[in-house]
Amino acid sequence: MAGRLKVLVGGVQLRDGVGTVVDVVGRIATRAGLHVLANERNYASTIYGAHQFDPLLICEEPPLSHGDDQVDILVALEFDSNPDAPQQPNRDTILRHGAHLRDGGVLLYDASTGTVPTEALEARGVRVFPLPARHIALRELKREVVKNMVVVGALFRLLEFDMDQHYLRALLEERFARKAQDLVDLNLRAALRGRAVVEEVLRERGWPSVGYRLEPRSTSEPLLFLSGTDALGVGAIQAGCRFYAGYPITPASPLLEFMDRYLPAYGGRSLQGQNERESIRAALGASLAGARAMVGSSGPGISLKVEEFGLAGAAEIPIVVVDSQRAGPSTGMPTKTEQADLRMAISAGHGEIPRIVLAPSTLEECYTLIMDAFHLADKYQCPVFFLTDLTLAEVRKSVPQSLFRETVRIVREGVLTEEDLRRDGFRRFRLTESGISPRIFPGTPGAVFKMSGTEHDESGFVTTDPPRRQAMMEKRMRKMETYLREDARGPQVYGDPAGRPVLVGWGSTKPVLLEARERLRAEGLEVAVVQITHLWPFPTHLVKPVLQAASVLIVCEQNYSGQLADLIQERCLLPTRRILKYNGRVFYVSDIVRGVHQIVRQGIGEVRVAEALPVPVEAHEGE
Amino acid sequence: MSVQPAARASASKVWEENAVPRHRIQWCPGCGDYGVLNALKLAFTRLELVPHEVLLIGGIGCSGQIRNYLNGNGFHGTHGGPLAYALGVKMANPDLRVVALAGDGDTFAIGVENFVHACRRDPQVTLIVMDNGVYGLTTGQRSPTGGLGQDFPEFSEEEPPPFSPLRLALAAGATFIAQSFSGDPKHAAEVYAQAMEHPGFAFVNDFSPCVTYNKFNTYDWFRERLQPVPADHDPTSLEAAWELLADFRRRGRSPLGVVYRNPRRRKAQRRVPMWPQELEGIDLEPMLRAFR
Ligand SMILES: Cc1ncc(C[n+]2csc(CCOP(=O)(O)OP(=O)(O)O)c2C)c(N)n1
Ligand code: SF4
Repeated sequence: MAGRLKVLVGGVQLRDGVGTVVDVVGRIATRAGLHVLANERNYASTIYGAHQFDPLLICEEPPLSHGDDQVDILVALEFDSNPDAPQQPNRDTILRHGAHLRDGGVLLYDASTGTVPTEALEARGVRVFPLPARHIALRELKREVVKNMVVVGALFRLLEFDMDQHYLRALLEERFARKAQDLVDLNLRAALRGRAVVEEVLRERGWPSVGYRLEPRSTSEPLLFLSGTDALGVGAIQAGCRFYAGYPITPASPLLEFMDRYLPAYGGRSLQGQNERESIRAALGASLAGARAMVGSSGPGISLKVEEFGLAGAAEIPIVVVDSQRAGPSTGMPTKTEQADLRMAISAGHGEIPRIVLAPSTLEECYTLIMDAFHLADKYQCPVFFLTDLTLAEVRKSVPQSLFRETVRIVREGVLTEEDLRRDGFRRFRLTESGISPRIFPGTPGAVFKMSGTEHDESGFVTTDPPRRQAMMEKRMRKMETYLREDARGPQVYGDPAGRPVLVGWGSTKPVLLEARERLRAEGLEVAVVQITHLWPFPTHLVKPVLQAASVLIVCEQNYSGQLADLIQERCLLPTRRILKYNGRVFYVSDIVRGVHQIVRQGIGEVRVAEALPVPVEAHEGE
Repeated sequence: MSVQPAARASASKVWEENAVPRHRIQWCPGCGDYGVLNALKLAFTRLELVPHEVLLIGGIGCSGQIRNYLNGNGFHGTHGGPLAYALGVKMANPDLRVVALAGDGDTFAIGVENFVHACRRDPQVTLIVMDNGVYGLTTGQRSPTGGLGQDFPEFSEEEPPPFSPLRLALAAGATFIAQSFSGDPKHAAEVYAQAMEHPGFAFVNDFSPCVTYNKFNTYDWFRERLQPVPADHDPTSLEAAWELLADFRRRGRSPLGVVYRNPRRRKAQRRVPMWPQELEGIDLEPMLRAFR
C-alpha cells in the first residue's frame, strides 16, 4: 500500500448496509493503528431506497485531507434490479463512481443476480471481483444480514489484512457482548466465505494480489474513531455544559442523541423540545438559572430560534448555539453539505445585539473551540454561535486519545456572592467600562434580579428614556470591543502570504486547502492558506494585516455568493476572488487546484465548481 | 437592589420592595390586573415565601408587567415563551419557586404550543393567566378567549368562537386546573396558594377585566356569570371535572375555584451542577470508551 488507500462503499440506503461495512472497516483499521478518515458520508433524506455512498480513506500517517473523488477500491453492494427500469439494474454505485475509480483499481460488487458489463473498466486495468454476497448469506448461511460480513471478509482478503480474523473476532465479541457466541461464529464464517470467493477469482485470473496490503501499525497510544459531533459533545460536557436542548433535524440530531446519552451521567439534563422555540427557551431558562446551556440545530431550526437570539443579547443571557449547517435554502438538501449560514449567524434578528461567531475547521477543533465558546458565552453573557457544517458534523476520523486531555478550568466571571451583594448592592445591568455587568443567579440570598428583553435601565426596569436607552445599548455593544481586545483570535496562517496568492477558508474546507497548497507547490506555485475561525465580531485588526500582503486573495467556500469573501471586502476593503461550490458535495483538492489555476493564470474572478451527471450504462442481468 | 436579610416577613410589604413603586404602575385605572397583583401578594405572604427564592416569569402584554410590580426575581422574554423558560429553569434548579404570569393572547395564541406541552410535561410551575379576552397591550384586538358569552349563531374563519382554556388544559393532561376572578382577590389568593403548593404544573385562569378594550366582559358581567365550584365536587376525579365543565357550560356559567387537582407521580429531580467546583475534574472515560 502506497501509504494511502481510498475505498468507496455504495449501495441502497438502509438495505445494503453501507454504513455497517464502513463502520466495521473504519473501527478495525483504527484499532490496527491506521488512520481512517470518512469525510463524506453521502446519504439521502429519504429513509429507504436512495443511493448511499461512503468513501473511506485509510492511511499510514494522518492524511492532510480526503483528497480527490478518485477511489482505489469500489465496493458496490446493490444486488437487484431497479423495478422502475428493468433494463437498468440498480447498480448506482458502478454507474456513479465507476468514472472515479482509478486506472488499475479494484471493483468488488454483489453479483447475486448476475454479472455486470465491466469491459470499459477492465480496459482501464481495473480488476473486477464479482461476489454473490447476498446469495451466500441467504442460501448458505440462512441469514441475509451477514452479507455485510461476507463483503468485509472479501475486502480484507483483497487488502491481505486480518487473515486470522483476530481483529474481526474481537469486534464481533464486543458487539454481541459475548452473549451470542453463535452469532459471532456465523459472522466469522461469513467473512471466511467472502475471503474464499476472492481467493478463487485471484486463482482463476492468475493474479498474485491486487497490489494493496494493509499492515497493522503500533501506535504510542490508542486511536479513537469518532465523529465531529462526538468530539463537540465531549468538549461541551468538559466545558461545563449541563443543559442541552434540541429538536430533531439533520445533521444536528446526533448531537441531541449524544447529549441524551451522556449528560445525565455528568449530572446534566438534555431536553428534546417539542419544537425549536421550546428548545431554545428552555435552554435560556436553564442558563438564567445558572447552568451552562447549549442548543443545537441546523438551518431551518436556527431560523425559528431567531427571536430568542435577540432576547439572549438584550437580556444578557449566555447561550451556545450550534448550527450544523446543511444545504439550504428552506429545507434545501438536508443531507448535503454547505456553508451558507454565515450571514445569518452574524446578523439574524431585529435590532442589534452583541454576539460571537466561531467556526471550527477540523474535528479536533470541534473539541477545543467549543470549550472557548462556553467560556466566551459566560464571560460576555451573549449568544455564541458555533458554525459547524454537515461535513464537520459527520466526519469520522481516527484521532489519538490524548486529544481529549485538555484540562479545563471553569471560570464564572462576574457572578456575585452574598458578601459582594452586601458590600456593593446590585444592579443587574450596571453600566461598566467593559460592557459586562456582574450577575447573580436566582436563589442567591441578598438580592433579586429583574431581567428583560424589553429595553431596561440598570436595575432591569423597563424604560424608553432616550439617555438610558442609549447608555444601555452602548454598554451592551461595548462587550464587542472588549472581546476584540481580549479574546478575538487572528486567522490561522499556513505559509507566508506576502506577495503570493492566498487561499482563504472557514469551516470544514481547511484540510482541502492545505492539501491543495502542497499540490500547487509540487507544481511550482507557492500559495499560503489562511483560515478564519473567529468570524464575528470580525477581527479586522488581526485579519487585514495578514491578507493585505497577498498578491491575490482567493476565498474558497461552499455557498453561492461567497459570504466570507463579501465580509472580507466589507471589513478589510480588499478585493477578493472566489472558488465556490454549492452542489452538495465537498470540495475536492482538484477543485481547488483547478480553480487556483483559472484565477491565477487566466485572471478569472469567480470559479463555480461543477460536476457532470453520471452516464447510464447498459447492463445484463444473470439468472 | 438589596433585600432585607431573609426574614420570614408576614406583611405583604416585603413584596413591594425591589419593585416599581405603586404610583408608577402602568396599568389603566380599574384594570383587573391590580386585583391579581394584590392576590399574589396575599398568596406569597400566606405561603411565607422569601423573595429571593421566587422567580416570576412574565408574558408579553399588559399582564406580563406584573413581574416588575412585585419583589422577587423577575424575567421577561419573548411573546408566548414564559412556560418554556420556566421549564428550563425548573429542570436546572428545582429549588426555585417559579410562577409564570401571562395574558390570554400570550398563552393561548402565540404560546399555545408551550401551554399544551407544559400540561403534558408537568413541571412544577404555577401559571396564572390574566384572561381578559383581548390583546390589551396592542390595543384591544381579539384573543382566542375573546367573545366569551357572546352569541355565535354563525362564525367565520376570521372570527371563530372563543375556546375554553380549562377544557384545553384538561384534554392536554394538566394536573391542576382552577379559575379565579381578580374582582375577588381574597378568593383568588386562596386559589393561587393552592396552585403554588401543587407538586406539578398548576394552571389558574384568572378573569381579569380589561376596562379599556373589553366593554363586554366587565366586572359586572363576570360577577353575574361566575359561580363557585359546588362544595361536593370531587376535584381529583377527571370525569367529575369534565362533567362540571359541561354542566357550567349548559347553564351559561363559568366555575370559580379548583376544577381538577390530581398530582402525577414524578421521578425525583436532581439539581444540575452550576458551580465551578461541581464541574471540574470530570472523568471523560465513559464517553470515550464508545469510540474505541
Ligand atoms: C412575536 C411577537 N408578536 C407580536 C407581539 C406584539 N404583542 C405584544 S403584547 C401582545 C398581546 C398581549 O395580549 P395578552 O397576552 O392577552 O396580554 P394583555 O396585554 O391582554 O394582558 C402582542 C400581540 C410581540 N411582542 N411579539
Ligand atoms: S389596556 Fe386593558 S389590560 Fe391593559 S392595562 Fe389597560 S385595562 Fe389593563
